[in-house]
Amino acid sequence: MSADELSIIALSLQVAALSTLASLPFAALMAWVLARWDSPWRSLLHGVVMLPMVMPPVVTGFLLLTLLGRSSLFGSWLFDVFGVSIAYSTLACVIAAGVVGFPLMVESMRLALLGVDPRLERISRSLGRGRWATAWRVTLPLAWPGVIGGAVFAFARALGEYGATIVLAGNVEGETETISLRVMEAISSFRAEEEGVAIRLVCVSVAISLVALLLATWLQRAQRAKLLDVNQAGARDV
Amino acid sequence: MFELDLQHQVKGFELSVELASAGPVLGIFGASGAGKSLLLNLIAGHVKLDTGRIAIGERVLVDCAHKISVKPEARKLAYVTQDALLFPHLDVQRNLCYAPGASTMLESAEGKRLLDLLRITHLLDRNPANLSGGEKQRVSLGRALLSDPAALLLDEPTSALDAGLAWEVQSLLLEIKRELRLPMLLVTHRVSELLALADDCIVLEAGAVVMQGEPISVLRSPPTSGIAKLSGVDNLLKLSARSGSQGSSSSLAFGETQSLRVQLSGVAVGESVSVGIHADDVMLCLEVPRGLSARNALRCTVREVSARGESALIELSPFDSTGPRLLSRITHDALAELELREGVEVFALIKASACHPLLG
Repeated sequence: MSADELSIIALSLQVAALSTLASLPFAALMAWVLARWDSPWRSLLHGVVMLPMVMPPVVTGFLLLTLLGRSSLFGSWLFDVFGVSIAYSTLACVIAAGVVGFPLMVESMRLALLGVDPRLERISRSLGRGRWATAWRVTLPLAWPGVIGGAVFAFARALGEYGATIVLAGNVEGETETISLRVMEAISSFRAEEEGVAIRLVCVSVAISLVALLLATWLQRAQRAKLLDVNQAGARDV
Repeated sequence: MFELDLQHQVKGFELSVELASAGPVLGIFGASGAGKSLLLNLIAGHVKLDTGRIAIGERVLVDCAHKISVKPEARKLAYVTQDALLFPHLDVQRNLCYAPGASTMLESAEGKRLLDLLRITHLLDRNPANLSGGEKQRVSLGRALLSDPAALLLDEPTSALDAGLAWEVQSLLLEIKRELRLPMLLVTHRVSELLALADDCIVLEAGAVVMQGEPISVLRSPPTSGIAKLSGVDNLLKLSARSGSQGSSSSLAFGETQSLRVQLSGVAVGESVSVGIHADDVMLCLEVPRGLSARNALRCTVREVSARGESALIELSPFDSTGPRLLSRITHDALAELELREGVEVFALIKASACHPLLG
């Protein structure tokens, strides 16, 4: 494997990890709102959050470019004040991957939160713990399998992201060229020597995704086993 | 002790409560769906109150007019529910130490005394799901008490337990009441629990307080058919008025030829009236009684004799079989002396004041 290929793998891992970590707090907050907020607006908000999952990634990329590109209101302000340009940078890769993986993360966490009995949170509050302490001590530990699952799905999705990334970040060598982009470039070049690059990167991509999923399954199982053990023991007592 | 004046609406259900009670244990009695748990949740702060005021002791917890609403975690009202609701990811010790300051209290002499009182010292390293229903509820009580609460909110604490465990938890609550002198709000539909624990009691029906008083008097004269059923009134009769009210009493049709006199005014002829009569208040006599102060001597036939338990239950019907069945509870001695069996004619003697007119 060449140094170029290794740096592409490193960049892809970096982008996927950063987009997952950056999305986590927002996804947790959104999942909590969608699971606990009792409002007629909840369905609409849920639909909006899920949009990147059902929209073509290229459309998502185009919308992001319209919002963050140098010619947009926000993009031009960012450039004028801080001299920062998001489009065609590594940050653009992170944002594109984060946005596309966001619904997966939110949905997994939302379902996990719905499985947590809200009465436990009420008990926690009546025992003197505030909203945040309750979320940290009760809600999060009980929803942990869903949080891990959501993070891994988002990580895997970020690793395979292509459509939104190519529109918002382009294919800049060393800057935005991730595994997916490089594989696509290799395939579309129709050159025999590029075929080996594509195969090696695809194998690495499959291996990373598999390891991540196995790790997530193991962590989820360990957490569930803790509760299941307890429940089975309880059932035996009855 | 407890001052509530509140109105709250949720999904078409309206709760309206106005009461002042010296407690220290206030029972909230009523059927399912009456609004008992909603009331407790409003007091605990788990549901935001629409309008009104809630005060316990000197502390005003909610006063909507003055925009006061103490956060649930600052109300110091420990909440105990029927399912115990222990945190499943924490062992018993960590459940007990959950509240701020609880671990320090658990180490103190007072904490150890509490563990002894609750008989949970040996359970500290157990997982919640490995506990029996009674053990769970004892740990739940311990967790609540170790949070140093100003009052306990008990939401049907024994209703998920079988009779034996319910008695165990009820005895424990009685000990807590005696030893800790903690104000308690007790939601229940168990008569025995209400009688054993509550000093004062309100009856909730369809979101409104229909009665307040000492538990014994509330259960003795239930205000509605629903509450009469809950409080174990054996005879719930729906009778029509035979004639209009005369003074403070009315005459209701008990079969085609007999009447039941009840203390109720303002009843029109033909109007349907619900009446509750405790089986203990129905005396039996083999001959026509004379010179009787009781207003009702109904000629009946014995339909069934059930002599199980500490007393005998006699099922009666009007002699001409045209009216509702009536239950009478008598002692085994009385049953033997009267030689009651199916088909024997008797007179059922009931004071008018023992016939409780019911709403609904």
